[in-house]
Amino acid sequence: MTELLTSAELFGNVAPLLAHAADFAEGARPEHSATYGWLLLFTPLVGAIVIGLTWKKVSDRAAGLIGTAAIFLAFGAALACFAQLMGMDPEERHILAGYTYAQAFGVDFRFDIYIDQLSVFMALVVTGVSAMIHLYSVAYMKSDAGYHRFFSYLNFFVFSMLLLVLAGNLALLVVGWAFVGAASYLLISYWYRRETATAAGIKAFVINVIGDVGIVVAAYLLWTELGTLTIPSMLANAEDAFTVAPSPEYTAAALLLLVGAFAKSAQVPLHTWLPDAMEGPTPVSALIHAATMVTAGVYLICRMHPFIEISETATLTAAFLGTATLLIAATTALVQTDLKRIIAYSTMSQIGYMIAGAAAAAYSASLFHLMTHAFFKALLFMSAGSVIAAMASNQDVRRMGGFRKAMPFTYVVFTIGALTLAGFPFFSGFFSKDEIISYTLHRGGAFTVIAAGMYIGAILTAIYSMRAVFLVFHGEPCDEAKQLEGGELAHGSPVNPATGALEDTDVGFPGPDHQIAEREGEMRTAMSVLAFLAVVAGAVQIPGVTHLIESWLEPVFEDSRYAHDIPSIATQWIGLGVGAAIALTGIAIAYWTYVANRGVSERLATRFGRLHELLSNAWYFDRIYDAMIVRPASAIASFCNNVVERFVVQGIVEGATGAAKSGASRIRSWQSGLARVYALSVIGGTTIIAIYFLVLAK
Amino acid sequence: MNSALTLLILLPLIGATIAALAPVKQVGQIAAVMTLVQIGFLVPILIDFQVGVELQAYVDEIWIEELGIHYALGIDGLNIFMVALTVFAWAIATFWAATKEWEQPRMFYAMLALAEAGTIGAFVAQDLILFILFFDLLLIPFYFLIGMWGEGDRRRATGTFMIYTLAGSLLMLVGAVAYGVISSYQNQTEISFLLSDLAAAPVGGSTQGWIFAGFALALLIKMPIPPLHGWMPITYRSTPLPVLVVLSAVVAKLGAYGFLRVVLPLMPDAANNFQHVLLVLAIIAIIYGSVMAFSQDEARMVVGYSSVAQIGFVLLGIFVLDAKGAEGALLQMLNHGIVVVGLMLVIGFLAARSNSERLSEMGGLARSAPIFAVMFLIVALATLAMPGSANFVGELYIIFGALSDQFVYGAIATIGVPLAAVYMIRMFQKSMHNREHAEGRSRELNATEFGLLLPAVLAVLALAVYPQFVVERIEPNAEFTVEAYQPSTAVAGGGGAAVSKEADE
Repeated sequence: MTELLTSAELFGNVAPLLAHAADFAEGARPEHSATYGWLLLFTPLVGAIVIGLTWKKVSDRAAGLIGTAAIFLAFGAALACFAQLMGMDPEERHILAGYTYAQAFGVDFRFDIYIDQLSVFMALVVTGVSAMIHLYSVAYMKSDAGYHRFFSYLNFFVFSMLLLVLAGNLALLVVGWAFVGAASYLLISYWYRRETATAAGIKAFVINVIGDVGIVVAAYLLWTELGTLTIPSMLANAEDAFTVAPSPEYTAAALLLLVGAFAKSAQVPLHTWLPDAMEGPTPVSALIHAATMVTAGVYLICRMHPFIEISETATLTAAFLGTATLLIAATTALVQTDLKRIIAYSTMSQIGYMIAGAAAAAYSASLFHLMTHAFFKALLFMSAGSVIAAMASNQDVRRMGGFRKAMPFTYVVFTIGALTLAGFPFFSGFFSKDEIISYTLHRGGAFTVIAAGMYIGAILTAIYSMRAVFLVFHGEPCDEAKQLEGGELAHGSPVNPATGALEDTDVGFPGPDHQIAEREGEMRTAMSVLAFLAVVAGAVQIPGVTHLIESWLEPVFEDSRYAHDIPSIATQWIGLGVGAAIALTGIAIAYWTYVANRGVSERLATRFGRLHELLSNAWYFDRIYDAMIVRPASAIASFCNNVVERFVVQGIVEGATGAAKSGASRIRSWQSGLARVYALSVIGGTTIIAIYFLVLAK
Repeated sequence: MNSALTLLILLPLIGATIAALAPVKQVGQIAAVMTLVQIGFLVPILIDFQVGVELQAYVDEIWIEELGIHYALGIDGLNIFMVALTVFAWAIATFWAATKEWEQPRMFYAMLALAEAGTIGAFVAQDLILFILFFDLLLIPFYFLIGMWGEGDRRRATGTFMIYTLAGSLLMLVGAVAYGVISSYQNQTEISFLLSDLAAAPVGGSTQGWIFAGFALALLIKMPIPPLHGWMPITYRSTPLPVLVVLSAVVAKLGAYGFLRVVLPLMPDAANNFQHVLLVLAIIAIIYGSVMAFSQDEARMVVGYSSVAQIGFVLLGIFVLDAKGAEGALLQMLNHGIVVVGLMLVIGFLAARSNSERLSEMGGLARSAPIFAVMFLIVALATLAMPGSANFVGELYIIFGALSDQFVYGAIATIGVPLAAVYMIRMFQKSMHNREHAEGRSRELNATEFGLLLPAVLAVLALAVYPQFVVERIEPNAEFTVEAYQPSTAVAGGGGAAVSKEADE
């Protein structure tokens, strides 16, 4: 027994030491409290719970206001965190606080939040854009029978996203990571009586879980190398670890982190859930599947950058798959006919830029693009929601047209969004995208190819984004547009736009009425703010003029080996010039094809039938996965059910039963007649034994 | 003599006796209320529990001197939460049963209580023969519970259940007797079946082999691990749901517990030799159970096969022979017990709304039942080991343990994680979401149903917020149990190097 005690004692001594090591940042600077951080994190959760619990008692409008207010408060808390960090010495700007969550055997799984430049930057983007989308939703979801549920989920999503961003422990990051996956699942299948929506939900959930597993295994590998899961300690230990040649464990860990990043950020080959996720209500597409959640992969790469950078295999993999994604998605977006899917593919494509950029160590450029993309992509989805509402839920761009006059406000902001996406000179997307490209080009070597891919993607982007504008707003007004010009909002019978199946308008299906930005103050406000930001946000980072994001984030990335190896200002301006030329060319091509020479695109589609088929089917990924995974899995399942269970398992049962036939018949006779007597004797016997122990065994 | 544990074993029987004195209509209610007394009795034991490897509330009385059989009971990190789970699950099962009508209720509740007494006894027994005695004792009431109050082809079910489990028990009993006799012969000690005596005087390596085989068969049947799960589908279909709550949530865990309490400490050489056989079985259980679970139409079979997959993770955690794996396995045994209680209740409530337990005959049941939907969702997400639940912590420790010592098995086992998402979300979706089925009618939980499901949901949430409560209490024993297999035992895994590094700074 003494031996056992020794080891227990030994562990007893080690555990607090370890806890102390994990707590060092917190313990060393008690004056920097994490109160604002906790407020930031938990305000949205409180909002979600309050709305959930009061769903019978408060009106829809009140629920919407509570939800929106919670996010505005969180944004305020994020600003407070920002101010707090500003008041600190630039090199000291980090706060770590939390409690022991599940710690044993050196696995320091703690509930720690980590407030630093990067997490505050992300928190500001997330809460800022979320606040606008909540505001938009207050009006947009007005007639939906599940209004409370919607806002409760939306608040829960923001909480999850903040948990992901603020996590100071890699295992806790996985928790936030999975929570956003769950929130995304709930919101994709928000109209839960729609079978297309629930199918899309489970697909998204399962692919996201594959990503979670990747990060968990990566966490294990990093933990064995570094001995901690506390992110700041991991980053601090990274330097020591990297003086030696990278072990295969580091390469594996980097690749597994990428699996997580790719699943969440919808990058090839784990991207197929994102287009389907458009089954969710449009504000969900704007918030989760464009502005925030899907950029989590970029955040992960930036947060864990030393562990990605260490492996050339990982950076090249990320760069090439990111580029492949941006090209595959951009070409697919060229021929899609569903308005939301066009924007969804453009999201995939834009995140491809960020991933490839982060792989090229252009971290602040990628994060800059993450921010501008959040503005203009949320804006595009919001405007698309307005159009779809005017079309009485129809999402087919071939049926749309000429909305320019009927919806002037929507037209203006949609065009701003599309131009920003296209990289129109001096709009925000122009600066952010071209910064990524110049940095990537500057890396040279294989990254030259990546940069070339990015330029090809840029021209495609300009074409498909303006194609949407021209198809929807230009040309002959469609019936719905004419109706709206007459002041009447189109009103069709409720159907599933994907299948045409008839629906009702009760909970679990969309509500009866549609809301357009032209008529709703909340929607107009939110869209105006985002349109303004989409246009001017580039001003924070103009080569040679401003570098707000770069200098704010500098301490986070100063340990990058490429931190000081950056393109000159002149080179960056040349890049901007090229970018402008490409964007304008793309816009011109789109104008020529879809306005000046209507019908050209149809002729091209017939001429290149095969190619058009390939792109319409999004490069056949779904079909390949169906043949490779879904169908084999169900074949295995039916084999297990029909063959293994029937013959192997039941064979044993029948065999055993047959062998003990006499015993079985005796059991049957007990059961029919003497059951009670037998049962009583069992109870009696047990009681006697029990009394023996209690009374006599002393 | 510390009689706390003896009393804990007897309390169910006392409760059943008091209930039996009541008029037939009130038997269930009294029996249910008596389970609260047990909880009241258990809480101080939980509070008094000290973190450490030693047995607490220990009792050791010589029962049959000539045979070296002791009446020894004790709790430590291995069983404290199993005992708590037993009391918790039985309380809910009894309350649930009390809402239904049973023929011969006195007999029913007596059998239910007897099964509980046997289960608690088996969990706290510290003598090998006593363990097996309790282990077998609890089968008899289940035999009657299924045979007399079961559904469908209950005759075949009881037959199969009995034959499987008796075959296993017999092997185990023979192995146990042999172990005691051979140990005393080989080590020239006086015969004793006290587990600590046996562990101090283990039998030789070659003898361990066949004794291990007997024990492993018995325990694997109970868990159950394919291909020894033949009794499970038939038994699950025939067992009344309140009884299935305890059978699935608690009794199945006894198999895993037997490995930790008996097999690893007494047969370390054999456990090492057979490690890969058990690991392969664990992987089979994870994959096969998951595949079966996502292709079942009967809701309770989805849960049945999902339990096979989950207990496969537990077996993996045990047989990677790493402290982290054992930690995860112990935590997961508790977590899984709690979610199964919730899931069985959910199945009962779903069936009450759709007049069927078939997923193909359900749909859209969330429509008028948001509270039900949320509670079901919480339980379902915990079952699939959603990060943020304690189930994730358990799975994380199992996977970390497996990757530390048996990387390939650990890597293969991770396939089970997304598969769990498939089968649980599928079950949630097919019942609560999609269009309504013509036969079904969505209805919110009534007060009784809410009251039954709430404790399970609260337990899931409480463990999700602060799993450390459990983690630190089982840690010393998790380490102790697999200590014999570790070359250096101070701190397992790669954490050791880093600790010293950080300490240097």
